[in-house]
Amino acid sequence: MRTAKTWALAPVMILCLAACGGEADKARDNGAPSSKTLAAAIGDESDLDTLESVIQNAGLSGVLEGKGPYTVFAPANAALGTAGTDLSGEAMRAQSAALLRAHIVPGALTRADIVAAVDQGGGGSVQMRTMADGLLTFSKDGDTVVVTAADGATARLTGEETVASNGVVQPMDGVLVKAG
Amino acid sequence: MAISGAAMAQNGNGNGRGNGNGGGDKAQQERGNGNGGGLANRGGGNDNRGGDKGRGNGRVERQADIRIPDVAGDMTRGQDRIERDVRREVQQRVAIDNGVVVLRREANRGLVNGCPPGLAKRDNGCLPPGQVRQLERAQDPYNRYNYLWRTLGGDGDYQYRDGYVYRTTPQGGLLGYLPVLGGILSPGKAWPAQYQYQQPPQYLSQYYGLNDRTQYRYADGVLYRVDPQTSSIGQVAALLTGQQFNVGQRLPAGYDVYNVPYDYRNQYADSAQSQYRYNDGYVYQVDPTTQLVQAVIQLLT
Repeated sequence: MRTAKTWALAPVMILCLAACGGEADKARDNGAPSSKTLAAAIGDESDLDTLESVIQNAGLSGVLEGKGPYTVFAPANAALGTAGTDLSGEAMRAQSAALLRAHIVPGALTRADIVAAVDQGGGGSVQMRTMADGLLTFSKDGDTVVVTAADGATARLTGEETVASNGVVQPMDGVLVKAG
Repeated sequence: MAISGAAMAQNGNGNGRGNGNGGGDKAQQERGNGNGGGLANRGGGNDNRGGDKGRGNGRVERQADIRIPDVAGDMTRGQDRIERDVRREVQQRVAIDNGVVVLRREANRGLVNGCPPGLAKRDNGCLPPGQVRQLERAQDPYNRYNYLWRTLGGDGDYQYRDGYVYRTTPQGGLLGYLPVLGGILSPGKAWPAQYQYQQPPQYLSQYYGLNDRTQYRYADGVLYRVDPQTSSIGQVAALLTGQQFNVGQRLPAGYDVYNVPYDYRNQYADSAQSQYRYNDGYVYQVDPTTQLVQAVIQLLT
């Protein structure tokens, strides 16, 4: 019975996803998230292929398929660059995990949530704690959200966020750990 | 009562208490948490958690009755009233005092002194005894990514070798080592004997859907599946911040953005009276003006 009800709702949910996608204020009002997990959402986005391989190498795919929720600040392929290529194989598993932990924060942060917090914060910036126990600082440059790590590494949120079943994927154009 | 008692025992290391909040302290006394039994009481919290299921939206309103004296320290209502409130709170399975069980990240990240077993101390790390090898940074494939370990924080330099991260002074003196996720803490490897861990409390094991919490170990922000017989590490079950929030204390830095899980956004929406923030399986209700934590909410509905 329960299954039947869920299936009956499926077309409505799909309609809502199509209609609500990209409207951040709707997302804030509990718009239906995708049924995809974070791992699947990252896997489906071709510009996050390198990140996907780092996640797999780190052994953290299961976490991103699990309960969560988490928000993954997801460096695009070009942003990961050489590091993304190097962080493969068992010898670099620990480094892969360390990199990822600096890009994951607890809970579901939509871009609208971040913008609202920055706008209401007064100081022009707000902070969130990562799974590496660091602080990410969010600010705005025009309409763009800029993320700055404690070591000064910065990135800008780009593209479309994906609200997954167990969190949110926020694509961006940089890596949140400063190299060198 | 059983849940609260077990919860305090699981905290194990006894800190995070005594924040001077009148209501909170009374709550702890009322709950009779003086057993200090550590692991001995772990099973105690496992009684009727199922009663949480299907409770719906009423929780917010019920909590609103209680959080005011806890936060404001309003002692005009008398002790009996507070005790009744506390009993009711326990019955409602809402953790609201500062005995809430979290998996905590150690201040020094669990840095272990000396060298891992079987390795001998050298100038700037630990190496197998008898091995004559200079650590040539330029040739070490790991060293190019040593910068990643700066995310561990603290002073000094970090180097990774053979599953461990070594922390050294700028002069090369060894400060200690850390077993790290993806290194020695990888599937199929044995849990390092000296590395301390916590077992997840009942609530978090339910939240993360762990079948048997004795098969899980938490250390430094990571919840691992570990075979209790062989200590062999399995998959990573969850990542956590490991941060402690106590009722009556200020929200720690790093929770400025509304991040409540989607399924709970209608129930716990920010308002002029309260803000809600999610961390490690709990939602925290916070006073928007003072940023004091008003209540800790479990998400088992």
